[in-house]
Amino acid sequence: MRHLLLKELLQLRRNSFLPRLILLFPVMIMCVMPWVMDMEVRNVGLAIVDNDHSLLSRRLIQRVSASSYFRTPSLLPSYEEALRWVEADKADVILEIPQHYERDFGRGSVPTVFVAANAVNGTKGSLGSSYVTQIVALNLSASLKRPVRQAEAVSFSPLSLYNSHLDYKRYMIPALMSILVMMMCGFLPALNIVGEKESGTIEQINVTPVGKLQFILAKLIPYWCIGALVLSVCLLLSWLLYGITPQGSVGLVYLLSMLLALVFSGLGLAVSNYSDTMQQAILVMWFFVVCMMLLSGLFTPISSMPPWAQAMTRAIPTRYYIDAIRTVFLRGGTLTDILPQTLALLCFALAFCLWAVLSYSKKS
Amino acid sequence: MKTFLSFILKETRHILRDRRTVMILFGMPIVMMLMFGFAISNDIKNVKVVLVGSSSDLRTQAAVERLNSSEYFTVTHVAGSPSEAERLIRKRKADMAIVFSQNYANHSLDGTAGIQIITDAAEPNMAQQQSSYLQQVLSVGADASAQPVNLSLLYNPQMKSAYNFVPGIMGLLLMIICAMMTAVSIVREKERGTMEVLLVSPARPLMIIVAKAVPYFVLSMVILVCILLLSAFVLDVPVAGSLFWIFTVSLLYILMALSLGLLISVIAETQLVAILMSAMVLLLPSIMLSGMIYPIESMPKVLQAICQVIPARWYISAMRKLMIMGVGVRTILREIAILAAITSLLLGVALKAFKNRLQ
Amino acid sequence: MESVIEVREVSKSYGKVKALDAVTLSASRGEMLGLIGPDGSGKTSLFRILTTLLLPDSGRATVEGFDTVSQMTDIRKRVGYMPGSFSLYQDLTVEENLSFFATLFGTTVDEGYDNIKAIYSQIEPFRKRRAGALSGGMKQKLALSCALVHRPTVLFLDEPTTGVDPVSRKELFDMLEPLRSQGVTILVSTPYLDEVRRCDRVAFLSEGLLRGTGKPDEILKEFASVFCPSPLQHEESQAASPDNVIEVSHLVKQFGSFRAVDDISFSVRKGEIFGFLGANGAGKTTAMRILTGLSKPTSGSGTVAGLDINTQSEQIKSRIGYMSQRFSLYGDLTVRENIALFAGIYGMKDKDVKAKTDILLETLRFTEHRDTIVSSLPLGWKQKLAFSVSIFHEPEVVFLDEPTGGVDPATRRQFWQLIYDAAARGITVFVTTHYMDEAEYCDRISIMVDGKISALGSPSQLKRQYGMPDMDSLFTYLARKATRTE
Repeated sequence: MRHLLLKELLQLRRNSFLPRLILLFPVMIMCVMPWVMDMEVRNVGLAIVDNDHSLLSRRLIQRVSASSYFRTPSLLPSYEEALRWVEADKADVILEIPQHYERDFGRGSVPTVFVAANAVNGTKGSLGSSYVTQIVALNLSASLKRPVRQAEAVSFSPLSLYNSHLDYKRYMIPALMSILVMMMCGFLPALNIVGEKESGTIEQINVTPVGKLQFILAKLIPYWCIGALVLSVCLLLSWLLYGITPQGSVGLVYLLSMLLALVFSGLGLAVSNYSDTMQQAILVMWFFVVCMMLLSGLFTPISSMPPWAQAMTRAIPTRYYIDAIRTVFLRGGTLTDILPQTLALLCFALAFCLWAVLSYSKKS
Repeated sequence: MKTFLSFILKETRHILRDRRTVMILFGMPIVMMLMFGFAISNDIKNVKVVLVGSSSDLRTQAAVERLNSSEYFTVTHVAGSPSEAERLIRKRKADMAIVFSQNYANHSLDGTAGIQIITDAAEPNMAQQQSSYLQQVLSVGADASAQPVNLSLLYNPQMKSAYNFVPGIMGLLLMIICAMMTAVSIVREKERGTMEVLLVSPARPLMIIVAKAVPYFVLSMVILVCILLLSAFVLDVPVAGSLFWIFTVSLLYILMALSLGLLISVIAETQLVAILMSAMVLLLPSIMLSGMIYPIESMPKVLQAICQVIPARWYISAMRKLMIMGVGVRTILREIAILAAITSLLLGVALKAFKNRLQ
Repeated sequence: MESVIEVREVSKSYGKVKALDAVTLSASRGEMLGLIGPDGSGKTSLFRILTTLLLPDSGRATVEGFDTVSQMTDIRKRVGYMPGSFSLYQDLTVEENLSFFATLFGTTVDEGYDNIKAIYSQIEPFRKRRAGALSGGMKQKLALSCALVHRPTVLFLDEPTTGVDPVSRKELFDMLEPLRSQGVTILVSTPYLDEVRRCDRVAFLSEGLLRGTGKPDEILKEFASVFCPSPLQHEESQAASPDNVIEVSHLVKQFGSFRAVDDISFSVRKGEIFGFLGANGAGKTTAMRILTGLSKPTSGSGTVAGLDINTQSEQIKSRIGYMSQRFSLYGDLTVRENIALFAGIYGMKDKDVKAKTDILLETLRFTEHRDTIVSSLPLGWKQKLAFSVSIFHEPEVVFLDEPTGGVDPATRRQFWQLIYDAAARGITVFVTTHYMDEAEYCDRISIMVDGKISALGSPSQLKRQYGMPDMDSLFTYLARKATRTE
């Protein structure tokens, strides 16, 4: 057992490519990706068609220009022209101020501006238009000479928990950690046994008295260590570069991530056992990883999924991980908060590792 | 010509004989399309709300009713205090909480009635959207005619996520199939020693390479058609623009991917390296830096500059305009020009680097 | 005589290693020139330069009067090349492979059929089978057909018969005879002496230097230390121990309707060197896989080291050693790490391992290479090391599957010395080989034909029984009786 383990570690170290990959890849991802994975909608391109040219409309334009959400808006002569800008990707939202905007307002009615948003990208379209809406409303109420208290007026005071600055990076760091653990602990083992099959050394191992369990465990443990290493690099970098640290206990973060590493290295080895060529192994593994990532709630909330898809996510180990790691990392949850998820993850880890052991056959 | 055909036949057989790979190649687009079409969305739906305070008075009840009747929210719990609500949120039993001010009902007429919205800002975007949706839901009914904004959502009035993802998936899958598979299949011949015999034959190396690429080219076209059919008939994403131009631009993109695959195959000596290289150089940037998921405008300037050389970025942008927005070819001239430039550059380098001999 | 292949002062080096050092060589039309030399002597590099795959660092080479550097295309139209590794597409059928290579060279199977009829007719019954499922001999015949289908005037064969049984090897070389009379020039490299003797002339390469060219017998005599080492002295079956280490009765292994191993029974005594011979596809490897616990027999029973092969295959594994055809050590580990790994797998104690490793390295004279990565060692060294590792844990039986493929006679002799040392220590050796001189080294041999054992006994006894002068003719006589088509 010890010798097999030593062999795996030595092979890993001898490889000219893998150690570098294992160290550099997380560093690169952690340095670049938090900047990339920013779903915040900023710098929305706005095209304004002002048909009123009044004080009120100019004030509105001023307010919009001052907003940090928009790039400096461009004033265009007609709606058609603005639409062309949208088509050319130069603008995302069109704000058209109708004629007599100020006049109607002065008469006491609520005048309507026309907003058209490019909704191909739904989030961008809806957020962009709601920013405009807010500003328009604000402009109107600020321009009212005598504030009317409408009967139904209710004041809302939003309070953001856990991430008061609405910092998207804070949200993405745990997601990135899970992606890295999945990739490192999923793809590398998937290539491992197939590699031994292609080079023929597996046959030599098969005629030795080595037990299945020992052999697979010796292969699992290095990837487990790699998982821990990758995780440590991530935590360290997120603290150094972004000043983001887990709200909950670091021990829990490790516990969860190690369970995830086990799940994926087990899956990887099982895939490797069934594959004949590296190409096959990598494609099959890729398929699994993509499905698991998409259904895990990593990118999009599970609650937005239709019921059948939500039911499917129950069979996806990453779902429990993402749920739990976010609770610990962002919401400062304790073990009692994430007990069900941890247990589910543990079951998956055991099941996948068992599968890896059972699917390895010493007979051919 | 005959040699060429027999080459293609041979390559096709290689592909078809590896059942598992073929299954993945066709299964992948279908599963991805279905998932993105039906399962994956950013829509605000089924948000679990905790009510803090008593729900006994009429006004509060009306508000709860209004929330429940909207498709966005469901009131699942009633908590005694905000801190209890927070505990529920942390345990993932609820997504947000609303706190009615103590004398909400009594003060409804003097304008001091307040509602505090507690959101789980772990996911900032969702939190913002949830909060603004909630405000909308609770304040509707005031005066429907007095909306200061008349909103129209262009191209995607139902706000389906699929509209945004379909071009992205196309960009990604075509890249994998063309570049990665071509690279791996050439490198495999190197590894197994069959390349030696091919090189010693009088067949021109250029022909060998082109013949290798053709089956993958055809395969990608088939997959492209599959994606388009799926998106039009299953996902109800209309193909708004001209089919001719969609295919022309896709063709250009596929050609680009093939040249990239060829370039990788020239550099890589083993399958493992070829696979890892395609994954690192092609897949990751194509997913992350192409604007497929993450908006390019929100990135720092340096990264935005890098994005400009990612071919998938231009393809996806062109496809969005052509397919979803249905605009004319005039608006995508820039994308076409850039793709063409990248293609010719890559193809040139790859052909120059391709060796007639072994090292 | 017109000279078809001209090599003038050609040198080639990879980094610091000089693969070819000012080699000068020529071959005339219709000649069969043998290229011989130990592993790593530069033979493959020379083939690659002549087939225009490599550029020489200095010097000039021409084929059919065309320069290998500037007139690449002309040469490529005229030559046939069969590289050392199988150059076939394993997932295409026999027929598909052939027609692909035919069109590649701008011809069709029908046009070239006369040229390859003699060879191809033998594999034609399997034309729908995938090349990957053919036996070694069949693959080589197919590869040769592919190289010949376009009627090349020069044929380059890089170790075409490695891993091929003696009968198929002879057939392969018989096929080359008519080509020579048609004026085809053949350059062939081979580790087999009988094949060397069939060449018109041979060139001996060693460490990149051309040591000599001439008639086969002259060269073999001149370099007798490499090619004809003094035969090993081995007293026959010393005090034949009565205990049987391997006992097999009525063993059958069936794949579908095909009986790979068809009811064989034999026993091997303790401390014996047992040669397990047979043509490619006769069922040797299948039988060996059953004995080593890699697969289960369909029916029949047997014991290895007193343990049942049906029920105790895992226990058997701890009592045996195994060295496979394909090189079986980890190429990316050092010599010492490989030893430690396999010793550890068999549960040896660290202290013993350390002491024993030192002794082993000493006897192999590997001490200074103990921290060398295994993949950078020459093939002969690797084989010796692999064998030493397989008996490192003092197993009762060691199974060797074609352990000496592709190395020169002197290296093979050293290898057999190791086998004798092991046998002297009481380790039973069970070995398969295609070298008939090695068969003579065994205490007892069995010859498998069509999944059955058709002869069993000591080499001298068998030769007497069948009235054959040497093992080679005995093997050919028995193997030619094979009737089944794989």
